[in-house]
Amino acid sequence: MIRYIVKRLVFAIPTLLAVLTLVFVLVRIVPGDPAQTILGDQASQEALQALRQRLGVDKPIFDQYVDFIKGALVGNWGESLVTGRPVLAEVWAVLPYTVDLTVAAILLGALIGIPLGTWSALHRNEAIDYATRVISLLGLSFPAFVSGILLLLAFAIELRWFPVISAGKLDDPVERLRNLTLPAINLGIIMAAYVTRVTRSSMLEVLGEDYIRTARAKGVPDRAVIWRHSLRNALIPVVTVVGLYLGILIGNSVLTEIVFNRPGLGKLIVGALNQRDYTMLQGLMVVYAFLIVAVNLITDLTYGFIDPRVKHG
Amino acid sequence: MSRAAAIGRRRGFSHALGELLRAFNTNVTSWIGLGIFLTIVLLAILAPVLAPYDPLEQNIVARLKGPSEQFWFGTDVYGRDILSRLLYGARVSLIIGTTATLIAMVVGSAIGILSGYVGGRVDLAIMQLMDVLMSFPTLIMGLMIVAVLGASMGNLIFAIALTAIAPFARIARAPTIAIKQRDYIEACRALGYSDLRIMAVHILPNVMAEIMVMGSLWLATSIRVEASLSFIGLGLKPPTPSWGGMVREGFEVILDNAWLSIFPSLAILLIIFALNMLGDGLRDAVDPKLRGGE
Amino acid sequence: MATAFKVEPAEPVLSVQGLTTSFRVSGDWHAAVRDVSFDLAHNETLALVGESGCGKSMTALSIMGLVPKPAGRITAGRIMFEGSDLVSLDREAMRRIRGNRISMIFQEPMTSLNPVLTVGFQVAEALRYHRAMGGAEADRAALDLLEQVKIPSAARRFKDYPHQFSGGMRQRVMIAIALACRPQVLLADEPTTALDVTIQAEVLALLAELKQAYGMSMVFITHNLGVVAAIADRVAVMYAGEIVEVAAVRELFRRPRHPYTELLLRSIPRVDRHVSHLETIEGQVPSIAAMPAGCRFAPRCPLREARCDAPPPLAGAAHHVVRCWVRSEGGGHG
Repeated sequence: MIRYIVKRLVFAIPTLLAVLTLVFVLVRIVPGDPAQTILGDQASQEALQALRQRLGVDKPIFDQYVDFIKGALVGNWGESLVTGRPVLAEVWAVLPYTVDLTVAAILLGALIGIPLGTWSALHRNEAIDYATRVISLLGLSFPAFVSGILLLLAFAIELRWFPVISAGKLDDPVERLRNLTLPAINLGIIMAAYVTRVTRSSMLEVLGEDYIRTARAKGVPDRAVIWRHSLRNALIPVVTVVGLYLGILIGNSVLTEIVFNRPGLGKLIVGALNQRDYTMLQGLMVVYAFLIVAVNLITDLTYGFIDPRVKHG
Repeated sequence: MSRAAAIGRRRGFSHALGELLRAFNTNVTSWIGLGIFLTIVLLAILAPVLAPYDPLEQNIVARLKGPSEQFWFGTDVYGRDILSRLLYGARVSLIIGTTATLIAMVVGSAIGILSGYVGGRVDLAIMQLMDVLMSFPTLIMGLMIVAVLGASMGNLIFAIALTAIAPFARIARAPTIAIKQRDYIEACRALGYSDLRIMAVHILPNVMAEIMVMGSLWLATSIRVEASLSFIGLGLKPPTPSWGGMVREGFEVILDNAWLSIFPSLAILLIIFALNMLGDGLRDAVDPKLRGGE
Repeated sequence: MATAFKVEPAEPVLSVQGLTTSFRVSGDWHAAVRDVSFDLAHNETLALVGESGCGKSMTALSIMGLVPKPAGRITAGRIMFEGSDLVSLDREAMRRIRGNRISMIFQEPMTSLNPVLTVGFQVAEALRYHRAMGGAEADRAALDLLEQVKIPSAARRFKDYPHQFSGGMRQRVMIAIALACRPQVLLADEPTTALDVTIQAEVLALLAELKQAYGMSMVFITHNLGVVAAIADRVAVMYAGEIVEVAAVRELFRRPRHPYTELLLRSIPRVDRHVSHLETIEGQVPSIAAMPAGCRFAPRCPLREARCDAPPPLAGAAHHVVRCWVRSEGGGHG
């Protein structure tokens, strides 16, 4: 297992470099002078030159690239043009909110999606299965801001069960939970829809496998056939989807944070957009690059945990 | 029909189309999805005829009116008729969504077929590039590009298309590799057909069905990304009505005037749900193994 | 090897009577197994022989109560075992018999073991459920079983996963699982078909040895008549869901009566006989939804007559029955 983990870590390095390169290209995609874009047409030559220097765009493109990658790798992710604070510090400040939300969403998605998908597969082509399929298709059709607004209207504005602004303090656990509930449900149900569908189809495939017949042939009770013999095999593709979904989750959390006015990475992005804070934006993209690679790594390690063939292979 | 069987035979365009149509006939949800989608398209086309008011006309007297006989879906902060704006807004969603998806479909499939056909190191390099592109969350990448380039229809289309190229390349590549090794392709080479002709006439029709299925699903994604970017404030500049932008405007006054954001929200949900029903049903039919899968 | 002529005890271990198992094909039910009857004596090996799709596997799955639902179900017949009719048992009672009193091993050793569970666990599992053994006790018994099926250094490999074993070794593991609770009856569905020839012989020898040691009865399903000669006491030939001939193994090889059996025998490659070509049987097994009304073999039969348009009964002396109008009268052929 240790060897497997080390191998995965080593493989993650080129991926990280590739994703960072993509970020660099995306940021430099703009034709013309970024300093001009930020300061506008009225800016003086001196101001433009000063900003170019600060942004590092006065150097040749290759040097810029090397600086960028070096900086990203040693944790120097730049600083905000507006506040002057390092990106890392800004991200660190909102990290608990983001972690709360992400973990809660994944838990909700798995706790709803895996049993529902299994149940649907076991009742294949019965009314309950059709209903689950249509409802999960509807669930994954929701843009996160649409579902967020509907939840906000129903539970915060009409019923007043939850706060309209989910910013609150983190030190009071009750408050923290109240602030987390609606945003987590919003992300969680969309994720549950994905997980339900993939669990269902992968469960159907597994239930038709020879080894399930073997388990039944040796007199294993139905419950153990499902939970011990089928589910662990069926979860292998579910992990892939959860891994892929984390990409969607990152996007959806931006929208969720806007709707529920909750601090987090997404709110930082929107703030940076509104203030034309390009260095902040670039720094946040670096954060995302690391996040993406970390997610891929975790997905790979989870495979190793679930599927013995991966570990020994 | 299984994927293997589908690839196993040489097929023309009409055959690929036929398979898709047959897939269609067997699936009720596909039909419902297509019906809703085409209705929305029709409403968008007929917007100038159907819209009761000018979508841009401000009416200070009739600000923030709730739904009534005069204004079915109410009016917004500037007294503009929401129904009219919804009808015109559908055009924005559809134009950006379909153009971006078509571009991604053409460019992505071309890359995928070429990559699979050429094979070797070129293929490896291209596919690794596609993997990196695909690893970036669609919305974040779209957001970054539009933020850097500025929000215009062209830039929105470019950003959304760019995020969708990689999936199309992947889906076109796999069957290409399988078909490439078949005897009749060898025969074509022996007859001196050009590579381009082989790819266009013999490989493309064989990957069409899957590309079309993917297309309907990505159209849903494209429309969702456009709406999301507009909601964040990176959409077309006001006063042009777009559904995501309307939700954004409505969201600012949501505490007192919920309908402003509810109607465009439901419109977005409806079109995405319709396209997902269509694509999901098609996929089930084209590949029964994936029945109801993700 | 057992002798062909032995005195059968009065009470068979397993008695299948008029078993019919049907499948739903585009709305209609069709019999995949039709009116199959046979008795299995104590310590006897009965071979079920036929081409793929003739219903021999489905017969075994019917006995196990593992007919895939909801597409298939047993529509008629009784399966008498230890005083009860397996067809009418409820799920839980049937589960207590499976893997305990009646076991089954399958054709595909590569896919029949669960990839995410250790081999040791999969063997021990049957003991936990049927013998109510605790973890350590079941593990000890499982290890003992793995040694009995001759897995080299079984103790070291106990916690290995199936993908770390070869096909032959996996089939040995399958045998260990099936024998864990010392069943009365073992149903072996083409257990050696997927294996290399040398491994095949080893696994067959192991099965024969364990059958003697455990005093089991065995239903051995195969399409390979060479294997039948090596292992079986009696043979039942199946065609298109029906048993067409039953006889002791030597009797059947010497005096086959059903034209289908004859053709099957002639299609065996034999080392001791120089043939320029192997005979193949013309035509195809009729599909389940389009069975002939009369004799199901008639469309491919070289001896077809007018009366074959009516379904023939299984008839003849007790030690040799045949389902054929032409051959059921006037003794054997040749």
